[in-house]
Amino acid sequence: MAAPTDDLEDFRASVREWCRAHIPSDWRAAQTGVDNDAFVAFQKDWFAQLHGAGYAVPHWPREWGGGMSTAEQIVLFQELAAHDAPRLVVAFVGIHHAASTLLAAGTDEQRQRHLPAILEGEIWCQGFSEPDAGSDLASLSTSARAVNDGWVVNGQKVWASGALHADWCLLLARTDADAPKRRGISYFLMDMRSTGLDVRTIRQATGEAHFCEVFLNDVHIPTANLVGEENAGWQVAQATLGAERGLTMLELAERLANGFRWLVELCAQPGPGGSRPIDDPRVQDRLAAFDTEITGLRSLCRGVVERVESGAAGPADASVVKLFYSELLQRLTGFGAEVDGLSGHTVLQKPLSSGWESGAWMLDFISSWEWTIPGGTSEIQRNIIGERGLGLPREPSVP
Amino acid sequence: MSEFAAFHDELRAVAKDVLGTTEPGGQVAEPPELDWQVVVDAGWSGLEVAESLDGAGATFAEVAVVLEELGRAAAPSPFLGTVALGVGTLDLLQPSAGRDGLLQRIAAGERTVAVAVVDGADGDGVVERADAPFRLTSTPDGLRLYGTAAFVPDAPGADRFLVLATGPDDRLVFVVVHDDQAGLDVTPQPLLDATQRVGTVVADGVEVSDAGVLTFTHDADATVRAVLDRGALAVACDALGVGAAMLDGTVAYAGMREQFGRPIGSFQAVKHQCADMLVHVSVARELVVAAVDALVRDPFDASVAVSMAKAYACDMAVDVAGRAMQLHGGIGYTWESGIHVFLKRAALDRSLFGSPPAHRRRLALRYDAAPVQPDPVQ
Repeated sequence: MAAPTDDLEDFRASVREWCRAHIPSDWRAAQTGVDNDAFVAFQKDWFAQLHGAGYAVPHWPREWGGGMSTAEQIVLFQELAAHDAPRLVVAFVGIHHAASTLLAAGTDEQRQRHLPAILEGEIWCQGFSEPDAGSDLASLSTSARAVNDGWVVNGQKVWASGALHADWCLLLARTDADAPKRRGISYFLMDMRSTGLDVRTIRQATGEAHFCEVFLNDVHIPTANLVGEENAGWQVAQATLGAERGLTMLELAERLANGFRWLVELCAQPGPGGSRPIDDPRVQDRLAAFDTEITGLRSLCRGVVERVESGAAGPADASVVKLFYSELLQRLTGFGAEVDGLSGHTVLQKPLSSGWESGAWMLDFISSWEWTIPGGTSEIQRNIIGERGLGLPREPSVP
Repeated sequence: MSEFAAFHDELRAVAKDVLGTTEPGGQVAEPPELDWQVVVDAGWSGLEVAESLDGAGATFAEVAVVLEELGRAAAPSPFLGTVALGVGTLDLLQPSAGRDGLLQRIAAGERTVAVAVVDGADGDGVVERADAPFRLTSTPDGLRLYGTAAFVPDAPGADRFLVLATGPDDRLVFVVVHDDQAGLDVTPQPLLDATQRVGTVVADGVEVSDAGVLTFTHDADATVRAVLDRGALAVACDALGVGAAMLDGTVAYAGMREQFGRPIGSFQAVKHQCADMLVHVSVARELVVAAVDALVRDPFDASVAVSMAKAYACDMAVDVAGRAMQLHGGIGYTWESGIHVFLKRAALDRSLFGSPPAHRRRLALRYDAAPVQPDPVQ
């Protein structure tokens, strides 16, 4: 990596100054044990503040409000992490999945309608998975029947994160039940205020309930809300999933590096017996191994982002990063939980807007499965890496 | 580094051609010795020798490309000792007729070198303070060298030995001795890895001329650390090549070998292991590249990056070569398949110039500066 330029160091200084002035010092307490409404209000306010500084969508094209270089984004994420900034949770699908889809496959009208709105706080959720269509997403059965001015949708979606407070939904539904499964799916933008929608929360292993079931009962979707061609939704969905992974990983890798520093601090605390874990050579060895892996992860992320930008991205690049990050997060938080010992088990809640490495190590460890399962399970990622990355033959499957 | 990327691609392509590794999966049970003349003709022996001394004036970044390809081929050659270590060490020492002349001869292909900085039987090669395995004593008849070092890479067959010695004034120096000198005994240590050579170097009153004493340009401890870092990184580059070869060979095999009516690579158990191997190699590559960049930028400030690269890449290579053996099934376990060659080379790489735990111990020194103070009141 080239030595930092003066401009980059000036930028870092300005981000630091902004963090000190704008990150509420008591946000962790304010976000612990609060209800969903308080969480959403805090998230919207935080997003507005970040957007006011130009920090909310640095990865977007310049003409839509982004345009930061990779180097600048890394500096931004490093400083946000170092200052323990709240994580953008509620805006996540909007600024990543929705934006990528609209930029890659949306119409000008759809972009104009939604991209500025996202910057003003429009919230999105994803309506992909179903009870019978998880890893085998292409077997989804939520149907969209063509009518005069659009489609009428019936079915059920599951795992939709944040659907309860979402304004819009990225929806996959089957528009041709007779075609081979991947060729009968369409991609829609669904207004969450539509009649016929019933949203219920699902409680996760951590005790929180931000995943949702969405029941669709004769929901009308107007023609203008189809993304791409009818029955070509599967391809649009691939573009979404692939495009955002690299850029989100950049921030996650920098946050993980910061999480490592907290882990070292944890190990430097005397334990129940009075001795410090960090004086144990076995602990030192584990820490050094994590240090090494995180360094490798950060470098890997930067490389993937740069290749995406130059159009040289490999078909399995994003999968390699997602797989490595998620399993590293799991091992790191697992180790943190181990070191945290019995007292760590008494932490029953963590701040709602905190990162994946929040300092509540046991809860962080449980929530690490939110990275190894959603977004394409580790098993699916290994399939993708093996087949699209290494060219290994596919298993025979139902077309 | 992007302006050199095209050159590196070319260098890599030539290396693959020379070493016969253009296609994956060509492992043989006994990789042939690489003809040193071929190395010299390709310009590789003089890569890091200054242009004024008839070298290419290139950097360790270019040497690293060749090192990786040598690992990929598991090629027996004295490149590590002569080029990676020999030239690299000489470049860190004061210019002199002796030093410059040796560099010139290496570039011309007339000399091969082995560098002995630690006694491999004694420590794990990750040192903070240099502990010279040799002593240079002043006698009425002149300077004489005494001492022993085991597991010296490329000692068997080397023309010249560049050894770290404590001088008559107790200061550290490097000493050059010739293979055919009286009192110098070099014994090969045959290893399970038949593709790399190490030997025990014993000096018992070997004559050393004034010209054979080379002094440091920088702090002695720092220079020794820089040499060891270079050795560790060179071996990490080799390990990266070993891992890459085993990944490519396994994927090729899994795509071809059929059982139960289809290629074994179509089964998830096999496919998933290959995916893990790719992730492992990819992360190792990032760390090795970062360490090479760091060492090129400042050979005296690359220790952290080198330790990360060495620890990770060498663990990776053993893991990947082991999985390669597993995924090649019965064939993988035969001598003839040649997979064992890579597993042994990976394991030796892991042990040379500091084990992964030793390097991680060095990394861990950065975490907590303040040791716990004992209670002064007893």
